[in-house]
Amino acid sequence: MSGDDDSNGWQLTESDPGVFSELLKTLGVPLIVDDLYSLDSESLASLQPLHALIFLFKWVSTSSDSMSGNYDPEFPGFFAHQVVNNACATLAVLNALGNIPALKSGSQLTQLLEFTNGMDPQTRGLVITSSDWLREAHNSLSPPSAISLDGLGLPKQTEDAYHFVVYLPFMGSLYELDGLKPHAVRHGSYNETGEGWLSRAREVIENRIATYPPGALDFSLLALREDPLPLIQAELAELQAAGKQAEAAGLVVKLESETSKRNRWNFENSLRRHNHVGLVHSLLVSLAKAGKLESAKERAKGIMKERVSKAKSKGEVMDES
Amino acid sequence: MGDSGTLLAFKAGRAFRREGTNFVDPSPAKGAILLRKEDDLLHLMWKNRTSNEVEEDLILFPSDATFLKVSQAPGRVYVLKFSSSNQRHFFWMQDASSARDEEFVNNVNGFLMDPDYEASWGSSSQPSTSTSTAGASQSSAPSNFQATPEQLAQLQQLLTSAVGSGAPPHSDVSLNDILTPANITPLFTSHPDLIPTLFPHLPPDLPMPPSPEVLQRIISSPQFRSAVSSFDQALRTGLLGGLVRGLGLPEEAGTGIEPFLRAIQSQAESERGEDSMDTD
Repeated sequence: MSGDDDSNGWQLTESDPGVFSELLKTLGVPLIVDDLYSLDSESLASLQPLHALIFLFKWVSTSSDSMSGNYDPEFPGFFAHQVVNNACATLAVLNALGNIPALKSGSQLTQLLEFTNGMDPQTRGLVITSSDWLREAHNSLSPPSAISLDGLGLPKQTEDAYHFVVYLPFMGSLYELDGLKPHAVRHGSYNETGEGWLSRAREVIENRIATYPPGALDFSLLALREDPLPLIQAELAELQAAGKQAEAAGLVVKLESETSKRNRWNFENSLRRHNHVGLVHSLLVSLAKAGKLESAKERAKGIMKERVSKAKSKGEVMDES
Repeated sequence: MGDSGTLLAFKAGRAFRREGTNFVDPSPAKGAILLRKEDDLLHLMWKNRTSNEVEEDLILFPSDATFLKVSQAPGRVYVLKFSSSNQRHFFWMQDASSARDEEFVNNVNGFLMDPDYEASWGSSSQPSTSTSTAGASQSSAPSNFQATPEQLAQLQQLLTSAVGSGAPPHSDVSLNDILTPANITPLFTSHPDLIPTLFPHLPPDLPMPPSPEVLQRIISSPQFRSAVSSFDQALRTGLLGGLVRGLGLPEEAGTGIEPFLRAIQSQAESERGEDSMDTD
């Protein structure tokens, strides 16, 4: 049975690099996630060292997903099935992390990964998703349920959820790890020279996108990469110590952009965790105290009327979920 | 809005597509589909018969949606499809007998095509607007059904007993359209004294100290906008009496957006009286 009870307390999270990066921080892993807007060599090169690509998509058409590559039931790496709803983002991250050699990670994650050693994908999925601390880490960035929308039985947003697939190199081959497939999928070996696994991954992902009719696929790509901040800082300190100010200047720009990205993530994450009902209420009270609530309400009614009639004329459905 | 708006109601549960697959799993919750006309808009609602809550409320525009049998699925699974979007909503018939499935489906499709459609009951010769139901099973119909209108009225009463005369689930005003940066920003300039009263309601772990600029950033952020949407939707259910009491508002304020705004207006007026603030 699917539906509301299948999430086992896992809440739907936003598929945003800031959310993933915060999760990685909680897991004690020195990696971050960045948006990937293109698969061209230059974009990929700027994100190196890159450990995995996460392809997330919502498929809109009802046609079945065609299969490329070959199931590898003997896949010796880490692969877990997605056994509960809403855990897909965290599960995809673990499917990637479990296959990165010599990865530094927090003790809880290290223990969890070790504990599942040798388990079949289904059991692994069950063990992972019944881990309380992991679920808490996952849920910490979903909107607070202080309004307890759950109890009100509002339309659930699971239908809109993305599906996550990880592509990464493992023992000389490109693998696709999809928690909804029975096995890891092997996409052949790749050439170690040049771009290495990324050139094979580009081919596979581009082919995959091409199998969907135009407009039938809503997708995005994320890159799981080494956190560049410590590297930049160390390099900068070295250059400055050596008095190479000109070279340092370029790095300062890089450092600033990384820092401002993190500030934005922290800002957005604090908004994600917060219950805004109090702010909504006091903003409305402020408007009323300033004698501006009535007029704002009248304008809002006009906007709603216009929206409904516009939607009507376009023949669109106003879906409020 | 009374119950006069209900055009049609029948027992049906929801079904959900198993994420990432084409499998549709019926959810065991007992429910009913209601077609209602409110403010000249056709609503298709799904109501939980255990909790009596409307859990899904879709506004449908003429000839945009169709209600079809899912022939690939075993059992009595139906899908609500839209020509203007790729949304799908799945349902399954929960009446013990399938005898009247086709009749309900035909009438649903009648209303979906034209909200002024007149439901037609008890005639199996009704031309089907939905081709895929043509071969629907007519198995062993225990035809102990009473007169349809009475039965519907009874079901309706059952469905509405808890929420009763509660506010309509749709409002002609949305909080999102009130709490816009365009409405709020001028306030900060004209009434700077209000700004510090908002600070205690900001996230405690902001990476910067609160300031008017930070407030503006928050108000324009997608996270805040989506929180406003959730609250707006929750208010529309009319069931937030308990929650609004925590905001110092009467329970009545939790029954809808308009009552909420009215209560805030009077809260502000009484507070202004106490503070005797000299605002314009």
